[in-house]
Amino acid sequence: MPGMTELGAPALAFRGVTAGYKGRTVLHGVDFEIAEGEFVSLIGPNGSGKSTMLKTATGLLKASEGSVEVFGREVSSLKPRERASLIGVVPQKLDSPMAFTVGEIVMLGRNLRGRWTGLEGRDYDSVEKAMIYTNVFDMKERRFNELSAGEQQRTALAMALAQEPRIIMLDESIAHLDINHSQEVLRILMNINREEKITVLLVSHDLNLAAQVAGRLMLVQHGRLVINGSPDEVMQPELLSRVYGCELRVRRDPLSGNPVVSGALDELLRRPQARKRLHVICGGGSGIELFRRLSIEGFEVTSGVLNRLDSDAEAARALDIPCVLEQPFSAVGEEAFRQAAEMVSEADGVVIAPVPIGPGNLVNLRLAAEALDAGKPVWIASGLDKRDYTPGKEAAGLSAKLRKAGAVEWKGIQELTALLNRAWPESKR
Amino acid sequence: MKGGDGCRPMIVKGSPVNRRRALLLAAAIPLLLGLSLLLGPSGIGLPDTSSISGRAIIDLRLGRFVMGMLVGAALSTSGTVFQAILRNPLAEPYVLGVSGGAGLGAALSILVGGGILGAAGLPVTAFFFAVITLFAVYAIAGQGGGVPSVYSLILSGVIVSAICSSVIMFLVSTANVEGMHTVMWWMLGNLQPSSWGDQIVALVLIAGASVALWLLSPALNVLTLGREMAHYQGLNAGLVTVSSLLLATLLAATAVSMGGMIGFVGLIVPHVMRAIFGPDHRWLVPASAFGGGAFLVLCDALARIVMAPIEIPVGVVTALAGGPFFLIVLRKRMKYAWND
Repeated sequence: MPGMTELGAPALAFRGVTAGYKGRTVLHGVDFEIAEGEFVSLIGPNGSGKSTMLKTATGLLKASEGSVEVFGREVSSLKPRERASLIGVVPQKLDSPMAFTVGEIVMLGRNLRGRWTGLEGRDYDSVEKAMIYTNVFDMKERRFNELSAGEQQRTALAMALAQEPRIIMLDESIAHLDINHSQEVLRILMNINREEKITVLLVSHDLNLAAQVAGRLMLVQHGRLVINGSPDEVMQPELLSRVYGCELRVRRDPLSGNPVVSGALDELLRRPQARKRLHVICGGGSGIELFRRLSIEGFEVTSGVLNRLDSDAEAARALDIPCVLEQPFSAVGEEAFRQAAEMVSEADGVVIAPVPIGPGNLVNLRLAAEALDAGKPVWIASGLDKRDYTPGKEAAGLSAKLRKAGAVEWKGIQELTALLNRAWPESKR
Repeated sequence: MKGGDGCRPMIVKGSPVNRRRALLLAAAIPLLLGLSLLLGPSGIGLPDTSSISGRAIIDLRLGRFVMGMLVGAALSTSGTVFQAILRNPLAEPYVLGVSGGAGLGAALSILVGGGILGAAGLPVTAFFFAVITLFAVYAIAGQGGGVPSVYSLILSGVIVSAICSSVIMFLVSTANVEGMHTVMWWMLGNLQPSSWGDQIVALVLIAGASVALWLLSPALNVLTLGREMAHYQGLNAGLVTVSSLLLATLLAATAVSMGGMIGFVGLIVPHVMRAIFGPDHRWLVPASAFGGGAFLVLCDALARIVMAPIEIPVGVVTALAGGPFFLIVLRKRMKYAWND
């Protein structure tokens, strides 16, 4: 409908938009523009505000500050029908409780356009065209709920297209589809984007898929745009790792040249079967985080001697970590020490946690000394002097001896894992 | 772009079929009119129109027919709309507490009197109470904040409904004998109009609300996909939801105030009509209105003759006679109505 909208205005513009729900602000001053004919993807972790942004863009949610413009017109000032003729939305999943057929569902995209029954030839044409584009024409007599998930999403897309919108927005609409179905929907989208010059805004948490199809990516975190640029600009490993809070890598797809992001899981899988074993000397809760982290890093972990009921002993039991135990509140006895020494002799190294040392568990440090004698590396948490509760400061003395004999001090789990990586590069673990 | 070779493929499923079925339904109405003029506790057959008592009997039977059509149409249309808006096959005026609230208002009006409102006093009070009940149900269901879920709506509807019937019981137990008798008689369901005024009020309210809902039927179709989708399709979803709920409440309240607590019609007739005509509300709303009316007239005719000269309450017949028949229809055709 020419004349209705401003010529050359961006298809969608957020200007300092703040929006949210009752008592909870989700978007904080979001600014961007999408030009007509662009294919843009909105990406970001779960709960980052992507869906809220889409709801705000469609006028379902009102911005508390700033303005949302669609083709130069403030979205909240649009009449419902005008809005529907500019914006088409494909939901995450279209749900029709009543037994409408595919044809009837697609017609609903057109129903409110004409008067009550006054659908004209043009309306039927656009419905047919939408169904042919999305390849659901042949199933128009079938009931919507009998369709596969992919067919249902194509029907939802057909319904949105029947509105003849100028921008189409998809809210994770292909997230739950098989790869063949999601590729099919994407192909349709790229087609209508190229041939009909319909602007596409694809909300997705699938980074690779977004980078594959979109000309521009907008990365959202905590309701703010972190970066807005080409896939190459956005797909930076450090940036993505920071936003998603986990280690991510980016490489290039050899066929398409597209950036492809992947997690570090593949390295876990490539690890050889024979894993390095670490014996952890801990107690009083100092070992819980170590157990967890070392297991994730791919080490086999053993522990002891610990007292039963100690929180580390409980954690070891929960994590299935082999452990030598002594009676609660008792000093480490000879039998337990002998078993632990045997365990250490089978380990590849020893880690001493920031555990307080008293007369009862002082002997545990001797385990580390034995490991050093056997030529095995030992990592000792720094600051043992402050945790020394033995009468004659024996622990501090022992710790100094250990360090002289080659034990390496560590401070914080990050440093420890770095040290371990240096000793045993991941690929050799 | 044309599909096929120039001829337009049929996109809206089953329209000619629906047209045939609608004709059958429309043809049933005069038959039922004849039937209800012929049947009555005073005997089967057309009474002698030359005598005064004969003409009175014809008048009574005609009044019953008109009231049956109106109350049946109101209950059934109301159920159809509630089911569409809540997108749930369990929704109907009784389940949502709307009928209970209307009943409470009507009982109060009967016991205290309509006051200055005259013939319209009963339906107006009933509607007023029904709307308050609907708001209460929404408020209770939406306590967590935001739009209440269908399940919490139905749950709080059932609770509010129970409260309303307790209050009615309390009112009845404390009323004088005459008042108690009137309320009980009304609650059992009785389609005998007390005056022409009643019938005109009922006709205006029910026909008006039904036609208004029919005009809203394309919007109802879109609303079955949910409020959010309806917004994307270019509907002022909030406005349409509220106005259809109010119209459906008006229908239910008028039906309850005129005919008493007649159950079953609002729940089951919409399902059967949806199974026959499909879920398109442009067909479904009028079909439910006429189907509900025809069903209630038929049940009322049966209620008059099965134990003649004693009449049994029509609500008993709706459930006893309608139940098995509708179960058979629904078993065969439910898949054309709702997705599971």
